[in-house]
Amino acid sequence: MDELTRSLAWFRPEIALVAGLLLVVIVDSIGGAWRGPVMRLLTVGALGAALAFAFELQAAGAKGMLFSGMTVIDPLSAAFKLVLVAAGLLTVLAFSFRNSRELHGLGQGELFALVLALVLSCLLLAASNDIVMLYLALEMVSITSYVMVAYLKGDRMSNEASLKYVLFGAASTGTMLYGFSLLYGLAGTTSMPGIQEYLAGGIPDANRFAVYAVTLLLLAGFGFKIAAVPFHFWCPDVYQGAPTPVTALLSVLPKAAGLAIALRFFYGTLSVPAANAWDLSGSIDWTTLLMLVSVLTMTLGNVAALTQTNMKRLLAYSSIAHAGYLLMGIVALSENGARGLLIYLAAYLVMNLGAFLVVTLVHLHDGSFDLRDYPGLYRRAPLLTLAMAFFLLSLVGIPPFVGFLGKFYVFAAVIEQGMGIYATIGALNAAVAAYYYFKILKVMTIDPGNEDKPALKLAFADQAWLAAFALANLVPLLFWDRIESWARGALVLYAGR
Amino acid sequence: MSGEAVVFWIFATLTVASAAVVVLSRTLIYSAFSLLVTFFGVAGLYVLLGADFLAATQLLIYVGGILVLLLFGVMLTHKIYDLDLRSETTQLLSGLIVAAGLFVVLTAVALKAEWPSVERAPAPTTAGIGRLFLSDYLLPFEAASVLLLVALMGAAMIVRRRRDA
Amino acid sequence: MIGLQHYLVVSAALFALGVLGLLTRRNAVHVLMSIELILNAANVNLVAFSRYAGGGLGGQVFAVFVIVVAAAEVAVGLAIVLTLYRLRRTPNLDDADILKG
Repeated sequence: MDELTRSLAWFRPEIALVAGLLLVVIVDSIGGAWRGPVMRLLTVGALGAALAFAFELQAAGAKGMLFSGMTVIDPLSAAFKLVLVAAGLLTVLAFSFRNSRELHGLGQGELFALVLALVLSCLLLAASNDIVMLYLALEMVSITSYVMVAYLKGDRMSNEASLKYVLFGAASTGTMLYGFSLLYGLAGTTSMPGIQEYLAGGIPDANRFAVYAVTLLLLAGFGFKIAAVPFHFWCPDVYQGAPTPVTALLSVLPKAAGLAIALRFFYGTLSVPAANAWDLSGSIDWTTLLMLVSVLTMTLGNVAALTQTNMKRLLAYSSIAHAGYLLMGIVALSENGARGLLIYLAAYLVMNLGAFLVVTLVHLHDGSFDLRDYPGLYRRAPLLTLAMAFFLLSLVGIPPFVGFLGKFYVFAAVIEQGMGIYATIGALNAAVAAYYYFKILKVMTIDPGNEDKPALKLAFADQAWLAAFALANLVPLLFWDRIESWARGALVLYAGR
Repeated sequence: MSGEAVVFWIFATLTVASAAVVVLSRTLIYSAFSLLVTFFGVAGLYVLLGADFLAATQLLIYVGGILVLLLFGVMLTHKIYDLDLRSETTQLLSGLIVAAGLFVVLTAVALKAEWPSVERAPAPTTAGIGRLFLSDYLLPFEAASVLLLVALMGAAMIVRRRRDA
Repeated sequence: MIGLQHYLVVSAALFALGVLGLLTRRNAVHVLMSIELILNAANVNLVAFSRYAGGGLGGQVFAVFVIVVAAAEVAVGLAIVLTLYRLRRTPNLDDADILKG
């Protein structure tokens, strides 16, 4: 009982979200014309409260295990939780049933409840300390995502996309589960610190093969969540078929949560600390494996994006490529790698949400997701084009935009570890990616076309959010040292008993 | 062969053979009923392993819930009067190679690795599992309730006919 | 004498068969059934280790959660398949081909 009350005190963000979820469900079932705004308010309120609690958590700097070792509290997990809740809150605020043509006329209650459930599951996933909790949270994130993608019930694309998502996802997580079952057998415990002790204590030669096989099986689940090759096949279809606000949410939340738990698992369970907490070396050589995955992911993502004309599919492949860069943070196996991952994720959040907001607004006014319908936007919607320019340049990774910050830290971490060739491949990929990002910009500004179309009248709220995201991409560089110290404060990973 | 061995081989063969039918059968309804036998076989294996609570849960939920749901799915996605519920196969050979490869690798893992061997004497597990749910595994237990809520709401929402919101 | 490894080989066979079904079947319900085989294979592992490899009851608790997750997944999966059928009159994956590339 004491354990319970002690744990609950540190569990406030999650409690806020659960309370919000239950209230939204109750309000939705009561009915009444006033439901819509009330549910939106409840959702925003719950997310806002969770954000405040997450800030508090990080400031407190506590370290320890909660709920009998099921979940962990440490500055690193608090920082990830902050990013995750911020992503959820920003999406709910910037996207709405009003500015998304796809969501017009659909019931609102379920989507708000699903968003809260998704953020809650992502928080549980990012701080898992036990493979039972990990698996359950992973499946919670997945199942909530499947339902959100299927939201456009009457739409064939949405339905197909969600079907592919379910089947692929269930297969990948099932494979990962098989790996976990073997790991449980080897280590004799479901707790991640316990598994780490077993692996750190020296793996008998007879078991090395088993541990390698287990790592490959686990990669199926992790790879699926972050859309890394070869578990990325669902990504373009799902991003295209889902309603764009859902796509925006899915491009950030599950990916960030998946990367957070991958970081925790690979750094905490599959590694052994030496001189100090961050002087890590793998219990088995998983860095080479992840490096390979990362290279394949960024290359495939960038190459496939070159020929896409559908904006949602293009951004899907762009997301896949970014997962490749984000993995560099994990491959680096160092404090700087973790820091790079955290900062890149925070930057990725504002870049990606901004880009998807632009795509949603263009669809709202013009009804098209096709890049070939984008010429002339410079004249018709100058603010939108300017904002998109910021987002695209940030995605390329050019200073003074925040995307540069993210890339800088992961590349620095990798180079520091002596992986020069890896960094070079990353740089080449970034150059290739620049081509299609610039192509979009060129189409929007320079290409002739659509002269007869009227100017886009954006609602004030939409303009405000575009401006906010654009500034969020530009301004952080002025506060580089603040960001650096925030990340530094977050670098405490509690993997101990 | 001891009694335990005989029972094991019966259940093991039953399980694997019916699983093969599930995967290889051309008719969906045969696959569904073979899946029933597979689930029973697995429940039998659980009993042999002394997992009484789990065997009962397997029967209740897998056979009583999931399989019934799958049967509904099979029945509802074909014309009612068309009993030729065929299902097509594609690229059988490459699939067989991959599956066979996986089987070999996993069996190698199973046989080669040194598993810690601490054999527990079989004992009723229900009380122990219940205790664990409310102590060590409390958080996943509660989280599972959120999962079920989401799945329930989600499935109902997806299938419900469109109504004016 | 029946030991741990007997059960592990059975689960390996179930897993391999599940993957076979996953790769070769075109009907969505069939693929769901194959996924259930994979989940059952993992469960057999968990229970066998719980009995033979000193994991205490943790493996069995894990197995119960897997059953819960499987139920939720099948519910959502079938809801989607039913909607697919309603829209397209076919539960075959190959006919779900609007999304390409």
